[in-house]
Amino acid sequence: MLHAVLLRAEVPSARLLAVDVSRACKMPGVRAIVTAADAPGLHGIGIADQPLFAVDLIRYVGEPIAAVAADTLEQAEAAVAAITTEIDLLPTAISMADALAPEAHLVHPDWRNYEVLFEGAAHAGNIAWEATVVRGDTGAAFSRADVTVVESNFRVGRQNHLSFEPRVAIASYEDGRFHIETSTQVPWTIRNVTARILGIPASHVRVTVPAVGGAFGLKFDCALEPFAALLARASGRPVRLANSRQEEMFTCLCRENAEIKLRSAVTKEGEIVGREAVVLMDCGAYGGEQIFLTTMTAHTLGGNYRLGSVRISSRAIYTNTAPNGAFRACNGVYNTFALERHTDEICAAIGMDQFEFRRRNVLGDKDIGSTGQVFEGDVLRPMLDRMADLRSARPSKKGTAGRRLYGRATTVGTWFIFVGPSAATVNLNTDGSATLVTAGVEIGSGSMMQALPQIVANTLGLHPEQVIVRTADTDGSGFDLGVGGGRTTVSLGAASQSASEEVRKKLLSVAGEMLQTAPERLVLAGGRVEIAGAKGSGTTIAKVVERAQQLLGPLSGSGSFTRPGVPAMAGCARGHFIDAIDIPVFAVHECEVAVDPETGHVEVLGYTVVQDVGHAINPRAVFGQIQGGVVQGLGYALHEEITIDADGRMRQEGLETYRVPLAQDVVPVEISLHEGAPSIGPLGTKGAGEVPILNVAATIACAVSNATGRPVCEIPLTPPRVLELILGKNTQLTFPHISPFWEENVLTSQPSGKRDVAG
Amino acid sequence: MPLHLTVNDEDRVSVRDPLTPLVDVLRDEFFLTGAKIVCREGFCGACTVWVDGRPVVSCLLPVGLAVDCKIHTVESLSTNGDLSVLQKAFEDHDAVQCGMCFPGMLMTLTSFLDREPRATREEIKAALVGNVCRCTGYERIVDAAFSLASAG
Repeated sequence: MLHAVLLRAEVPSARLLAVDVSRACKMPGVRAIVTAADAPGLHGIGIADQPLFAVDLIRYVGEPIAAVAADTLEQAEAAVAAITTEIDLLPTAISMADALAPEAHLVHPDWRNYEVLFEGAAHAGNIAWEATVVRGDTGAAFSRADVTVVESNFRVGRQNHLSFEPRVAIASYEDGRFHIETSTQVPWTIRNVTARILGIPASHVRVTVPAVGGAFGLKFDCALEPFAALLARASGRPVRLANSRQEEMFTCLCRENAEIKLRSAVTKEGEIVGREAVVLMDCGAYGGEQIFLTTMTAHTLGGNYRLGSVRISSRAIYTNTAPNGAFRACNGVYNTFALERHTDEICAAIGMDQFEFRRRNVLGDKDIGSTGQVFEGDVLRPMLDRMADLRSARPSKKGTAGRRLYGRATTVGTWFIFVGPSAATVNLNTDGSATLVTAGVEIGSGSMMQALPQIVANTLGLHPEQVIVRTADTDGSGFDLGVGGGRTTVSLGAASQSASEEVRKKLLSVAGEMLQTAPERLVLAGGRVEIAGAKGSGTTIAKVVERAQQLLGPLSGSGSFTRPGVPAMAGCARGHFIDAIDIPVFAVHECEVAVDPETGHVEVLGYTVVQDVGHAINPRAVFGQIQGGVVQGLGYALHEEITIDADGRMRQEGLETYRVPLAQDVVPVEISLHEGAPSIGPLGTKGAGEVPILNVAATIACAVSNATGRPVCEIPLTPPRVLELILGKNTQLTFPHISPFWEENVLTSQPSGKRDVAG
Repeated sequence: MPLHLTVNDEDRVSVRDPLTPLVDVLRDEFFLTGAKIVCREGFCGACTVWVDGRPVVSCLLPVGLAVDCKIHTVESLSTNGDLSVLQKAFEDHDAVQCGMCFPGMLMTLTSFLDREPRATREEIKAALVGNVCRCTGYERIVDAAFSLASAG
């Protein structure tokens, strides 16, 4: 097998005049070198703006320029060092303020020529995508005489997933087809995007995925696979390409940095009659996931509370920095931070208790969301009541704060299940075991290896250990949207259940003949089929399968699932990939913190989660997800910080400088599961692995604000930042690139992908 | 020059350069892939093995310095297919998620519990200062180790 290395750009913005590989080609052990000439196509989500290799322009530090495959890694590295490039430095737009300044450097000068893959959004210049919500008359709401107007600004940095297994792919090319073995959450996306980039039919790509060593959204996009595929074809040999930890750090598809401006008109009774918001999401040099994620602002920042009227502008902004991507509860984490902190500022302004305000205003049965969808069931309010009960059932940890400042906060969060298409096949074998075939991937959440076998086993009367889960293979299974967005147990689960039900029907029909009993009087349990009420009367499932195989052939069933399509209000959402959320998921978090006024250190004294799970198929696995998700959120809230220098280079290159939570930083999370909320998921389930991180930063920030009496407007709350806050030395957060007039933060009143707008 | 090593009580010979990190010899030459390469900087602990009984991050140890040492990897913990008591405790506590950090966690904690069989939760957490986990939020790993310490 050959080893591959990428030549990556070392400057954030330049014209790429020439790439000379002639010397590198002659280096020892070199078998293939590929460049932009080998992969001219553009790809993207919503808009095709990204080449595989830099073509003509370099747009970020770390952008691939060439790829080399050689007999050894050292030979590949030596050859990469021998490639010469000729560049002309260009001006940069490193921050979103740079990108939106008058006369800003355009990251994509020819943005007008890009193919639009999803129509309906406005975009222009460095504004890669704009999704808006307009429902009701906010102008009238804000001009009412009886309202208090509250305004807040918030800013958050990037978060690196730091999944322990890096992005890595092994590709081979045989008989005109590619086989890519890769560490991904989205086998079918890899298949389709690789084909698009290589300009070949998608059916010529086979993707297989072994168990994945952590992902958290990082692996929700095509990454190294097309490079490995190109090199495999060019060399005629299998090629392995893996990111080093440093490459993972500076090309990570991070949770995006964001800037949020929020404004609300609230009556003295606490009714929110109007809300306006502008959210800027840094997509980096290419649109990627952020294009889609602009949609989510309507449901995260626009979620949680009843709103009389609402206007939201959610924009993805190009900068000369590494592209950002998807990360567990993407978009939701910082918008919930902003919304919940803003909510506490509203409470302060109108003199209402923070908990009481939430109890009065959270979305309940038949309330409408920001895009006009109608919510079903009272979920958040009883969850808040449960949290109050938990709080009163145990002593406060205030005593352990000692001389430090003590704070407590309760927040709410709205998230969703990203449903969409899944397929499953179940084969029942003559030894009584079942094989479940899907394109799902186990990334450590337990959905594939714990929840799905339970669903299949439950339908077929087997033990979960008797269900063999086939690892993902796009040649062997039907389409799947991928493992992410909390959809695995729901979408793949529903498809698996439906496949199992088909098998069950066939099984019972044959068993009915064998036992001379109507199928509806038969019961499947413990690997046996019994006549109802007469234990021991039946036979083993294995024997029935054997009989069925003689009569009908092997027993198998297939199942499919897709999104149900919840309606929104016509015309109020523009540029959105989805107008309503199919399965809402709610969370209530509470924490107690102690803030050291001398060092600025924040200690989390206690943390409690009440989570809406629909129905918990495997409560222990859900608890594990909640503990892990909360701790990832604590890192984001308190010390995981990425800073980008003036040359567009991330300063944090590894675990020495990027500070993730360690064992001594964490506390055991107290958990209460809220069951019974409506869900179309199999057995009433909802995804439970993504949402635990949703309101951690919000809760910590609100608690630190309560402890210090100072408004927290930026995270992470590193000790220096907290000290500045306590001493009143932090600078007021202002956004000169966001207009105080909402109308000036939208490109056009009409949706248009093609309209020529200055920017 | 061939390097003579003792790995999991077997004599092994490496033909790699003596400056090669031990973890690469274990994984690429001996196919002992339990030790994981995550940071290559000694921060994450996922490549922890025992060298003469002490937990060492194998990414920072040149194989030349491991000659004549007794090396044990996570593969040595189970005997005849039976899990070690700590491995069993991890399984019983449903502690594993993606699993990349667990070989290192096992090597660190097995060694620690040998020395401190009555450790408190706080002491167990302190022992994990060199082992990062990105999935689990640690508490169940600590619970598993503490179940052995408190069972005595």
